[in-house]
Amino acid sequence: MKIIKGSARILGKEVSTDIHCSSKYLPGKDTAFIATVAFDNVAPGFAKTFIKGDIIVAGENFGINSSREQAVHVMHQMGVAAIIAPSFGRQFYRNAINNGMPVIECDISGIVAGDALEVDLAGGSIAVPAKNIVRAVPPLPAAVQALLEAGGLIPFLQKHPDWNLKEQTA
Amino acid sequence: MGHTIAEKILGHHAGGKPAKAGEIVVADVDFAMIHDARAGNALKMIEKLGAGRADFALPHVKRTALVLDHYSPPPNMEAANTHVAMRAFADKHGSPLYDVGDGICHQVLPEGGHLTCGDLVVGTDTHSTTYGAFNAFGTGVEGTDVSAVMMTGKLWFRVPETIRIELNGALQPGVWAKDVTLTMLGRLGAEGANYQALEYCGSGVAAMAIDDRMTLSNHAAELGAKAALLEADEKTFAWLKAHGAAAPQPVKADADAVYTQRIVIDTAKLAPQVARQHNIDDVVAVPDVAGQKIQVALIGTCTNGRLDDIRQAAAILKGKKLAKGVRMIVTPASRAIYLTALREGLFEILTAAGASVEAAGCGTCVNITGHYIAGDDQVVISSANRNFKGRLGNPKSEIWIGSAATVAASALTGLITDARTVAGGDWRAAA
Ligand code: SF4
Repeated sequence: MKIIKGSARILGKEVSTDIHCSSKYLPGKDTAFIATVAFDNVAPGFAKTFIKGDIIVAGENFGINSSREQAVHVMHQMGVAAIIAPSFGRQFYRNAINNGMPVIECDISGIVAGDALEVDLAGGSIAVPAKNIVRAVPPLPAAVQALLEAGGLIPFLQKHPDWNLKEQTA
Repeated sequence: MGHTIAEKILGHHAGGKPAKAGEIVVADVDFAMIHDARAGNALKMIEKLGAGRADFALPHVKRTALVLDHYSPPPNMEAANTHVAMRAFADKHGSPLYDVGDGICHQVLPEGGHLTCGDLVVGTDTHSTTYGAFNAFGTGVEGTDVSAVMMTGKLWFRVPETIRIELNGALQPGVWAKDVTLTMLGRLGAEGANYQALEYCGSGVAAMAIDDRMTLSNHAAELGAKAALLEADEKTFAWLKAHGAAAPQPVKADADAVYTQRIVIDTAKLAPQVARQHNIDDVVAVPDVAGQKIQVALIGTCTNGRLDDIRQAAAILKGKKLAKGVRMIVTPASRAIYLTALREGLFEILTAAGASVEAAGCGTCVNITGHYIAGDDQVVISSANRNFKGRLGNPKSEIWIGSAATVAASALTGLITDARTVAGGDWRAAA
């Protein structure tokens, strides 16, 4: 997989994507609308100043509690390239992989808004070259890489209806 | 080296041998569920995938239940139209459908005989951990996952590590499984078991009725658990048989299974617990906050809207009136529970006391139907599972969480009250 480069956008810890990045509490609003207001309540102006290709750097338990898949669709619409956090809500993590959004569990200390980040999913590292920060992360399991590379679970199954994750990644 | 229940069930469904925690497996799913808060997008996506393709099939669709429980009744056109689409889909493909008023997904799946010991079950809901009460690996997924199951019968899983929790001794009368989970939340914190499975064992579990065991597995979702598994016993087998489930294939953990943590709770000595407003892990013993005023009392949800919860509430409120200024709503978890409660005269008792009873569904849990909004500064005591700010529609109100016993005792006095101190608070079904 290629190296993802982008600018860091910071969010706090325990951010619920159900509350801040879905229409669960804004019934009837569509994904395109949510993409213009997402996370504004926890980080005012976040969505308006988000630039396609930026990387979200969040605190612990990003996507805590139940999590709608719509959150990942919203983030794709915003142009989120990847999400880095020390830990994720379980359901959010699964939704991200199923919908082709790279998620990396990693220490985020020292990373501030605007830092130029480099994420190597296959090699297993994140870096801020300007600050000499390089952190090793366990490389994503091959099966997860296969799903991400295909663009998510459904695109993967369209190519591999037999679920052959191994052959894919051998 | 031995294996946990989670490692065994996932392994059995992924080719045979027990799997190892941390491994990613592709496993055969026995049963899947999708509810109305998630079905809209998933059904649209399936239609899109199948459009114009003669070879597109959903061979596993008959093992996927569609449940209309969250928007029950539908509060807006969008939800009503999702319901229309779900009914049409179930008609076309032959999926089991539970309509408005039939009940909450986690109650109707076991009641409908759709799962048994040793099964692997997924649902589009975090509280799908409930099925662990029946020794089935139940876990929450999303619409995309259920679509994949309908298409292929399989799904990918990361095999979770497990925390073993031993419950030592039968709970006292007036103390319930809810109090055990609240204790765990106080210790581990919300999401304290994120990504992990729980295994509850010990004499405390053995003494519990099935209703209480379901609470234990259900409420594990607030700990962030991926599954919450109990071993099966005669009570489990009898319950499953009575509900027409397939022959159980019970799975036990090995004595030398590997756990990330072992926790022992002295359940025999446990007092009732409550989570204070806004944070499910801000847990204190009820006697420590006795005297806190409440204005709204809610009994219901997939955590505590079962028959024993309603029986306990009726035992406390029989022949009594709610405290002045208290509004109480009871929402049974399923139509079957509703019917039994009617026949047992429980709703007559509760209605005479001043409570209102609503049709089965998610109702009292979250402000989806718009029925349960509290006023500014009002304090709600609820038997639900989550209490973050605004969950019931008004961020200026407070939600406190406790067992149905605590809710009913508090509705009686208007103050948060230890059920052990009121008449009827010691009710417990004969084992
Ligand atoms: S009762 Fe509440 S927690 Fe349970 S399924 Fe319904 S909305 Fe979810």
